[in-house]
Amino acid sequence: MSQARALYHLMRADFLERVRRYSFLITLGLAVWLGWAVSTGKLKLWISDTRGVYNSAWVGLLMALVVNAFVSLAGFYVVKNTLERDRRTGVGQILATTPMSKVLYTLGKTLSNLAVLLAMVAVLAGMAVVAQFVAGEDTHIHLGPLLAPFLIFCVPAMALVAAFAVLFETIPFLKGGFGNVVWFFLFTATVPLGIKMSHDPIGLGLVKTQLKTAVVKAFGSATDSFVLGALSNERQARSFRWEGMDWTREILLSRLTLLVIAFGIALLAAVFFDRFDVSRSWGRRRSSRKGHAAVAARGLAPAGDGAAVDSAPAPVPVHLHPLPAGSRRFHFLDMLRAELRLLLKGQRWWWYGIAAGLIVAGLFVPEAGRKVVLPLTWLWPVLLWSSMGAREARFGTDGLVFSAAWPLQRQLPATWFAGFLLALITGSGVGIRLAISGNWPAAGAWLIGALFIPTFALAMGVWSGTSKAFEVIYLFLWYIGPLNQTRSLDFMGAVPAAVKAGIPLVWLAATVALGVAGVAGRKRQLAER
Amino acid sequence: MKLTIEGVGKRYKGNFWGLREFSLELGPGVLGLLGPNGAGKSTLMRILATITKPTEGRALWNGTDIARSPNELRSGLGYLPQDFGVYPNLNAVEFLEYMAAVKGLDAAAARRRIEELLVLVNLTEARKRPLGGFSGGMKQRIGIAQALLNDPHLLIVDEPTVGLDPEERVRFRNLLSDLGGERIVILSTHIVSDVEATATGIALIDQGRLLACAAPEELLRRVEGKVWEWVIPSAELPAAREKWKISNAIRRGDGVHARVVSERPPVADAKSVPPSLEDAYLAVLEGSRESRLGMAA
Repeated sequence: MSQARALYHLMRADFLERVRRYSFLITLGLAVWLGWAVSTGKLKLWISDTRGVYNSAWVGLLMALVVNAFVSLAGFYVVKNTLERDRRTGVGQILATTPMSKVLYTLGKTLSNLAVLLAMVAVLAGMAVVAQFVAGEDTHIHLGPLLAPFLIFCVPAMALVAAFAVLFETIPFLKGGFGNVVWFFLFTATVPLGIKMSHDPIGLGLVKTQLKTAVVKAFGSATDSFVLGALSNERQARSFRWEGMDWTREILLSRLTLLVIAFGIALLAAVFFDRFDVSRSWGRRRSSRKGHAAVAARGLAPAGDGAAVDSAPAPVPVHLHPLPAGSRRFHFLDMLRAELRLLLKGQRWWWYGIAAGLIVAGLFVPEAGRKVVLPLTWLWPVLLWSSMGAREARFGTDGLVFSAAWPLQRQLPATWFAGFLLALITGSGVGIRLAISGNWPAAGAWLIGALFIPTFALAMGVWSGTSKAFEVIYLFLWYIGPLNQTRSLDFMGAVPAAVKAGIPLVWLAATVALGVAGVAGRKRQLAER
Repeated sequence: MKLTIEGVGKRYKGNFWGLREFSLELGPGVLGLLGPNGAGKSTLMRILATITKPTEGRALWNGTDIARSPNELRSGLGYLPQDFGVYPNLNAVEFLEYMAAVKGLDAAAARRRIEELLVLVNLTEARKRPLGGFSGGMKQRIGIAQALLNDPHLLIVDEPTVGLDPEERVRFRNLLSDLGGERIVILSTHIVSDVEATATGIALIDQGRLLACAAPEELLRRVEGKVWEWVIPSAELPAAREKWKISNAIRRGDGVHARVVSERPPVADAKSVPPSLEDAYLAVLEGSRESRLGMAA
């Protein structure tokens, strides 16, 4: 009983802490926006160029699939911060000294994640009713068919996301930006696979099978085309009456299995959970091993928490000499060098190796290969760019950095320039090749890409105070735009048609706007302290 | 070199005033800011460090309003906040080089200065280790080093001795005393002994207001002949605490030596003893609170 009480309070405290944050309102606002996109027909579900009449069953199904397809991806990033918060606030260390077990902790955190995700689902369920009225095709509300897809499709999927978020946070190499990238690719790989499978976590496969049968029944035949997303309003689809999913025993069992898997993942997270013992974490061990060797050589003793305590040399009397006249003179190059070092520090040899490989590939790959090599080249440093603008808040150095003279005119431009240099250097292979081949429009688009990325990163970092916002939005943009050759979203000149259509100029304008936003954001940070 | 604070106040959300009608004029020397938790010490320091803007009043550095033109002060400002972070992947030298660049120091001068500072804060042996592996005390010493990087004219240190071992604490106190000769040093702490050892002037703050600002000798004079000590049996200590505001109670072989600050001797056999700065601090604090209660009544 006391274990259940502890679990409940662990979940409750974490949930309340999150929902009382301003960012939670933004999250709910985004959920409302998503619901509105469905209500106004911007997001649709089509099968074989047909759609269901907007009755409760169809709207409920459509909204539930939107939840699973979009909230599963974005929601992961929303909830993947609960352990990090306990670590940062020090609450974790206090919890670690209580009798609470690791399993209880990871389960509590999973349930809290689930509660946050379900709050978003609840908003979208409410928006389903709005969508049905806005469509006006059938205004009779039938709660059963409307809510069943949320309960049967969304709850297990959200449980899985909630558990994965906790698992990622307990595995040292997945808890940071790398984990954010991994989830993105894991998810984007799962969706198309899911449509082909009959039992996928999102539920697309199940829905497709039943809808296809309904379409055959209504129109005599059906193709394999299945689309969930934004479709042009010019295209019209024939409609049929959908009375709801046939919730077979098999379906219910498969969704129940997902809940069990989510529970298993939460238990697995307990295996990796370090119980806030920093000396056990992989990253810390790596630096501490080096540290301990140096410490041992110099007569310093490691402390129990992995940090070193200074047991050593007797202090030497020293007198501080006054700084020579003229030494208080700002040099932009010194600042830039320092910012570059900060940006690149901590990267291992293989990071540079792969970056160099991509530069070489950019130099020698034929013109057609540019659409793959350039996006990859500018995906590789994403975790470095993402720290721009957010570093001061993240590491708590804002008090030191912002009390120096002209932080807006000196440090901020140097931060941006370091990011721009990183883009230029990592993309240099493609850039040089474009220049050699005399493809100046594409070279111009490439340069705009190099300007856009650090400007975007800086603005996102300054305004959000975290590196996650840039990582997630940049990945979306990168995936849909340059990688999938979507013309309007190609911000780096990887799509020849985009270059021809002058799309890079739009991105140049966006770069200027983001630059202004970044400066305004930092100005606000300086003024509001 | 002059720092003038004129009627400075800071209002936070919820109409809470962290600082109110605060005025002071400072020249070279070490000013110790003393006050209980939440008194407004850190708010004042953040205003003087140009991090927070005052809601009312102004602070002038050599006649220039620091809220309107902060950069004149910032080029010669050293600031050690109460809570600060470091970049965990950088080592001590790299971090100080970064801070030197941010503060606009010439690279060659910065290198020499960093070497001196690392010796000064006793971190030469750990100079190449990532800061992420530093203990709290070592991190605090890096904070002290960065505050001194630009040979500041105004040095503001908020609870600087937190996390330092006794030896380092003594060293730091001595350093502050040395530095105070030719610049303005503002030291905020609730550790009276830190102030006792370094300050040439003391400002007592409570509930956002300046209660007193004077040289330590002057503060001690105010309670001269008002500090009493007497011996009571251990068992009677709780009752004595109910009756008098005992500022200190030390158990010795003959019983508990109780100490109070009072106009009159608490008991007939109480002996007048030389006052400490802690007595003066408590007396001023107590006096101010009583007068506020009196006014409220």
